[in-house]
Amino acid sequence: MTQSPPLSEPTRAVRKVHKPSLGDRLAEQIPRLVVSPTMLIAVVFIYGFMIWTVVLSFSTSRILPRYEFIGWQNYQRLFGNERWMVALTNLGIYGVLFVVICLAIGLLLAILLDQKIRAEGFLRTVYLYPMALSFIVTGTVWKWLLNPSVGIQRFGRELGFENFRFDWLVSSDMSIYTVVIAAVWQSSGFVMALFLAGLRGVDDSIIKAAQIDGASRITVYTRIIIPSLRPVFFSAIIMLAHIAIKSFDLALALTGGGPGYSSDLPAIFMYQFSFTRGQMGVGAASAVIMLMGVMAILIPYLYSELRVKKDDR
Amino acid sequence: MLLNLHSHNLMKTLLATVICWTVALLIFFPIFWMVLTSFKTEIAAISMPPQFIFEPTLDNYRRIFERTNYTRYAWNSVVVSVGSSILGMIIAVPAAYAMAFYPSPRTKGTLLWMLSTKMLPPVGVLIPIYLLFRDLSLLDTRLGLTMIFMLMNLPIMVWMIYTYFREIPPEILEASRMDGANTREEILKVVVPMSKGGLAASFLLALILSWNEAFWSLNLTASRAATLTAFIASYSNPEGLFWARLSAASTLAVAPILIFGWLSMKQLVRGLTFGAVK
Repeated sequence: MTQSPPLSEPTRAVRKVHKPSLGDRLAEQIPRLVVSPTMLIAVVFIYGFMIWTVVLSFSTSRILPRYEFIGWQNYQRLFGNERWMVALTNLGIYGVLFVVICLAIGLLLAILLDQKIRAEGFLRTVYLYPMALSFIVTGTVWKWLLNPSVGIQRFGRELGFENFRFDWLVSSDMSIYTVVIAAVWQSSGFVMALFLAGLRGVDDSIIKAAQIDGASRITVYTRIIIPSLRPVFFSAIIMLAHIAIKSFDLALALTGGGPGYSSDLPAIFMYQFSFTRGQMGVGAASAVIMLMGVMAILIPYLYSELRVKKDDR
Repeated sequence: MLLNLHSHNLMKTLLATVICWTVALLIFFPIFWMVLTSFKTEIAAISMPPQFIFEPTLDNYRRIFERTNYTRYAWNSVVVSVGSSILGMIIAVPAAYAMAFYPSPRTKGTLLWMLSTKMLPPVGVLIPIYLLFRDLSLLDTRLGLTMIFMLMNLPIMVWMIYTYFREIPPEILEASRMDGANTREEILKVVVPMSKGGLAASFLLALILSWNEAFWSLNLTASRAATLTAFIASYSNPEGLFWARLSAASTLAVAPILIFGWLSMKQLVRGLTFGAVK
């Protein structure tokens, strides 16, 4: 268990015995040769394909790719499209709520589990269980629970609350919130695991000292423990934010973007425009916007990770 | 005073315990309900108040096997996940070995850049991959899907195996080198046996991630190579009103995960948090 953010342990040096023979020099090159195919696949391939997407987003491509440059037209059409704006707004609502609620529930569960509860291991596994399921199945299960005529609403009415309403799934104003519910159900246990690991890494002696000074439990948590979890917050936010931007299958299975396109997310929009509607250029433009969104989160993260590494040396 | 404080703490622990179990029930309920419903008749499935005690039936399962190509989807899922995980291991183990035992100043950066590709949205590379697959006639083939799943999981596999390899004391490797072991022997006779658990965990993580993958399977396959997630997605729309049957189909699709997931939750978390939680 560690409280440091991922990827930041100091680089361990391996001592090497230097014998300058030809075979040894060759052997020294082997590691680099072995890593290179993976590097090639992971970095060159994927980043290369992204550049290809960028090129397509400036082209006249529709059903088939065509490489005639048309400047920013696809982007203008994209941002002139009401459906895209709905998808972006939805991503904003969904992303913020998803991250905030997951952090709150995750932290709360971690603190509760940290109170030396019996069967902690079992509870932890239960909390984490949804994460092992595919988003498609999560969406399917929740689609049923949230369906007004068979799920929670009907159950509420059956209990005697005649006016009980919980029809978010079929309401175009509220359908995006059902995606939040299902996504939070799936991911908050995972955030709990991150925080629990962080809590276990907090230095006990500081807490004891504060308690001797008469600090209450709540003060200890709000003043000492939670601030010291800052790196955990940081990595949890990164993880959750990129899950939010990538979201595709959950919304597709739960609402299908509907009713109408009220719960569309950018990834669904991109898929629809590129393939179903034969607007590859606009689809590529929307993909580029999403990529830039993730880059905006990722680059500060990578930068901070690499800086931590230098500080460690 | 001391006793008072003690009973006060006991109350708090009790409260925490109650909340924890309530949350656990809430979280587990949807899964439990799905499995339960899959053994009901369609009428029992939507009857109110909800039935907890009923006569279980296997009709839904029977119908799925009779009326759909369930076995083909399931077989596709097995072939593609196992194939991509094995392929991934073959590429990831040497790479992780080189990075863990021959670190250079750039190793950390290389790893981070590799991991960063895992965080990028797949839509960013969807069109090029689609076009490439079309030209190479890999669309709707298990081979194509296997390659994509492998690519998708490779960064996380390298990272995970790397963290396990780093737990091996370098002195042991030095000793084996002194004894005249070459690189191949070193990997096969020292490194792999010492990190058996870690390698198994990495393999399992790749397996679960591939099994759950829906984005690529929905976009790159139609009917021949579609996996179970695509099956559920397609089943859920036209048959949306047959809740019991849909539950049975979903249960079948997650059954392996429900079993393996329970056994490997710790490793899964370690992989998904990029090693932050051990």
